Amino acid sequence: MLIRRDADDIREIRPRAALGALVVLCAMLVLVVRLYQLQILRGEEYVTQSISNYRKSLFVPADRGMIKDRNGHTLVDNRPSFDVFITPAFCKGKERDEIIAKLSSLLQFTPEDVEKVKLDYQKSWLSKDRLERFKPFLVELDIPRDQVDLLEAHKTELSCVDLIPSPHRNYHSAAALGHVLGYMSEVTPDEMDDHPEYRRGQTIGRRGLERRWEKELRGEDGHENIAVDAKGRKLDKETNELLIPENERLIPATPGNNLVLSIDERLQLAADAAFPGRAGAVVVMEAKTGFLLAMVSRPSFDPNKMSGRMRRVDYQKLDEDPLKPMLNRVMNENYHPGSTFKVVTSLAGLEKGAINPQSTIFCNGGYTMGNHRWRCDKPSGHGSLDVKHAIQYSCDAFFYALGDRLGLDLISDMAHRMGFGQPTGFDLGREIPGVIPELKLLNPNTGSPKSHAINASIGQGEINVTPLQQAIAYAAIANGGTVWKPQIVRRIEAPDGHVLRDFQPERDLANGHDGRLDVKESSLAVVRAGLAAVINEPGGTAFRQKLPDLKWAGKTGTAQVVTLGGKQKLDPTTQAYLSRDHAWFASYAPADDPEIVVIVINEHGGWGAEGAAPVANKIVQTWYQMKKEETAAGAAAAALAAAAKMAVQ
Amino acid sequence: MSLNSSDSKLDHLNWPLVLCTFLVCGLGVWNLASATKNAPIAMWFVQFRWMMIGAAAVAAFLFIDYRWLSTMAWPGYFAALGLLAGVAFAGKKVLGARRWLSVGSMQIQPSEFVKIAVIVLMARYFTKDEVGPRKGQYDLLDLWRPFGLILIPVALVMKQPDLGTALVTFFIAFTMIMFAKVKIRSLLTLLVSGVGVSIFAWQNLLKPYQKDRVRTFLNPEAYAKGAGYHAIQSVIAVGSGQWSGKGWGEGTQNQLAFLPEQHTDFIFSVWAEEHGFLGGILLIGLYAFLVLAALDVAANARDKFGSFLALGIAALFFWHAFINVGMVTGVLPVVGVPLPLFSYGGSSVVADLLGIGILLNVSLRRFMF
Repeated sequence: MLIRRDADDIREIRPRAALGALVVLCAMLVLVVRLYQLQILRGEEYVTQSISNYRKSLFVPADRGMIKDRNGHTLVDNRPSFDVFITPAFCKGKERDEIIAKLSSLLQFTPEDVEKVKLDYQKSWLSKDRLERFKPFLVELDIPRDQVDLLEAHKTELSCVDLIPSPHRNYHSAAALGHVLGYMSEVTPDEMDDHPEYRRGQTIGRRGLERRWEKELRGEDGHENIAVDAKGRKLDKETNELLIPENERLIPATPGNNLVLSIDERLQLAADAAFPGRAGAVVVMEAKTGFLLAMVSRPSFDPNKMSGRMRRVDYQKLDEDPLKPMLNRVMNENYHPGSTFKVVTSLAGLEKGAINPQSTIFCNGGYTMGNHRWRCDKPSGHGSLDVKHAIQYSCDAFFYALGDRLGLDLISDMAHRMGFGQPTGFDLGREIPGVIPELKLLNPNTGSPKSHAINASIGQGEINVTPLQQAIAYAAIANGGTVWKPQIVRRIEAPDGHVLRDFQPERDLANGHDGRLDVKESSLAVVRAGLAAVINEPGGTAFRQKLPDLKWAGKTGTAQVVTLGGKQKLDPTTQAYLSRDHAWFASYAPADDPEIVVIVINEHGGWGAEGAAPVANKIVQTWYQMKKEETAAGAAAAALAAAAKMAVQ
Repeated sequence: MSLNSSDSKLDHLNWPLVLCTFLVCGLGVWNLASATKNAPIAMWFVQFRWMMIGAAAVAAFLFIDYRWLSTMAWPGYFAALGLLAGVAFAGKKVLGARRWLSVGSMQIQPSEFVKIAVIVLMARYFTKDEVGPRKGQYDLLDLWRPFGLILIPVALVMKQPDLGTALVTFFIAFTMIMFAKVKIRSLLTLLVSGVGVSIFAWQNLLKPYQKDRVRTFLNPEAYAKGAGYHAIQSVIAVGSGQWSGKGWGEGTQNQLAFLPEQHTDFIFSVWAEEHGFLGGILLIGLYAFLVLAALDVAANARDKFGSFLALGIAALFFWHAFINVGMVTGVLPVVGVPLPLFSYGGSSVVADLLGIGILLNVSLRRFMF
């Protein structure tokens, strides 16, 4: 039984309640439609977003490839080390200041270092990309073991500081191979724009082989995907395995490939040790292939230091050093070749018929043309000489006369054929071409055509060459006329050792004669006889370098230092040094069947015979010693094999 | 007051409503257990205990005729104001807001009970205190008194600050006024002019920085914590549930704490993430059923007072559910409003159950004097 007392009042509520019910249903329908939109229509998209929320990709750095010498001795490998990073998002305000202060006392920062850290922090914090502050930035590279322990001990006070293990380059031969190997340093933002595969704080090869073969050496970084909660904390193993599919948990890094060089570590170190000067270069090359066995450029830099912590003052010191340690003198410095260039004049004369092997020229202590007289080295004169003896005694007057007969352009043509005046094609970075003048390009005010030819005939005047070009030219004389492209990498090997790329000797096709000298063998034979006489016959300019058991050949050179570097100040203590001549020695061994070419330039080393030839001598002796050891070892092995064979029979 | 046999009383109980309430409570506790799986204490159990206490209170309340509430309306209203004043002076400050009163070891949130007090007061006002509109129907001039009565507690709640609860309290009262004999014309005038003035002001009068202030005012949490992080994470949670959800305790947004306030304001996101669209429809359906059941009670009440009480409770559940789900799905700005019987919180659970109790009481007594 239904009883109502004020049914009247209720009556008017009913229609409004019905209307209310309709409104409620509509409102709830709106919510259902919204759910449909989010969950069904855009569900996939939000699933992706929810996954990217918890999924964090950790970076697994690839091991950089090693660099080995021709015998497999390791020149560069990686050693474990720790870098210090800060993640700006995890420490702000007062905490940040405390942590930076703490860190700088533990790592013994200079005020300059502290400024840099604060600047980096600020930069990251002010970045338009809001995620930038979650990316750790590099504070200190490669800290020593005791500092690692210190930081570990203070871990709890350094909440936003991470110690990241990362392999660092270990250059075994320190500065001796600095210019060959190059070094590593942090990748710049511009480089990262071009190469997105690099992460901030990673290093990239600078100079030398590290730079040239960056792509081969680098390898490919891997990733470890882990699940994290909203605060970035790693989850337990079980949850992690639940959330990250097994095949995505670890994408391993691919290590870089190894380089096997033609450099012989022992010979390189011997060459480096033998070189006495403050500045200069040594090139040792295989005469029959163009592969380099040693390459010294003095002064050098220690790649270990360059790849490590460099303060601004360190860079400044390198920059301001008047000897320019970062300059690779083997390929990026020009010198007058001096008398070493006489082989070019000789070949030009013999080939163009200006002389024959028997022609003689009389030296009266100089050469006069018009009212100008060019002095010979021997003021009393050499008397009547043929080309062989002219080379042996390094008679200037002979070559002045020959140069006068030939004219500049014929000398230059021969020089170009031998690889001078253009880059050699050496694949190690930028290379300067040197200067081989042509008459039509010369300013007539700088002297008469004849005087240019006369100056050029003994490697002075405008002629400028690099030590590497000298090696190529002398190798061509030694090997019977092949102009090689210099090379330093023998093989590229995969980490497991299998050969990916094997480099073969290549002729330098840029010489205009298909990589050949294109001269008569008889001409070469005369020049070679002269070069052998320099060392092995009395009166030769390097007769003192004669070896008892090995006949070798070479040419001294003494390049006049005409002008000093433009803005260089003349300091009384260095003036004597800087005004001294450059000493050259260009040689090969053995004289009869040449295997190696040795080029030495000792800046301000004085006479070639004194400042450079003894260096070449030591290198040739070391090489000969190594060769004998190798032969003995080969013989011993052969004898052992023969004995074993006998025993089996 | 005479009761029929106890059997017939049970017969007259609104069983569908009871069942629906149990269902929502049960799902709520189950969902809360997932949302607070990593919490150091069993929060679902604390919630369950409050539900038991609320249910006991409801059971006891059923023995009293709801008309007794009419006599308690004014004392209840002033007691509620007193509690709010107490909060303002002696309240516990959590995250910059003063919303809680400490009673022994418990924290109670008076603003939850203020809603009930306001409902009861409005019901009484329109049935007893206001003898009737001057001209048969209420016009705008007649309404300043009820509006004034509401605005005092609303202002106090706003000041805590608790914008969500203040808004919901106002909406509930406003809805009840709508159901009084207000002229349709007055209603429309009120609505249209209000909306029109707002839109005109927003587009023409406010400068950008003023708009920002308004946005910040309407949506303080989002602006305080940067780029609407809460709202975005909540939408991701809901959306990634797809058809049937990731399963109980498997929601990554929930379990890995990407979802903020996942056990209180954003509890629906947990549900939607783990049980998907189907679960979402089910829950929205249950709330719709609750509200419709309440409207049915209102339409069939024995007297106007009971009818208004039921309307108020209908409004309470509707506005809470609609604003909460709307906010976690990104259709409404983020204002802190709990989802009835789902969000964690003793005061809210007990107040909601008291609301159910009032419905049951009104529904029960339409059959008796």
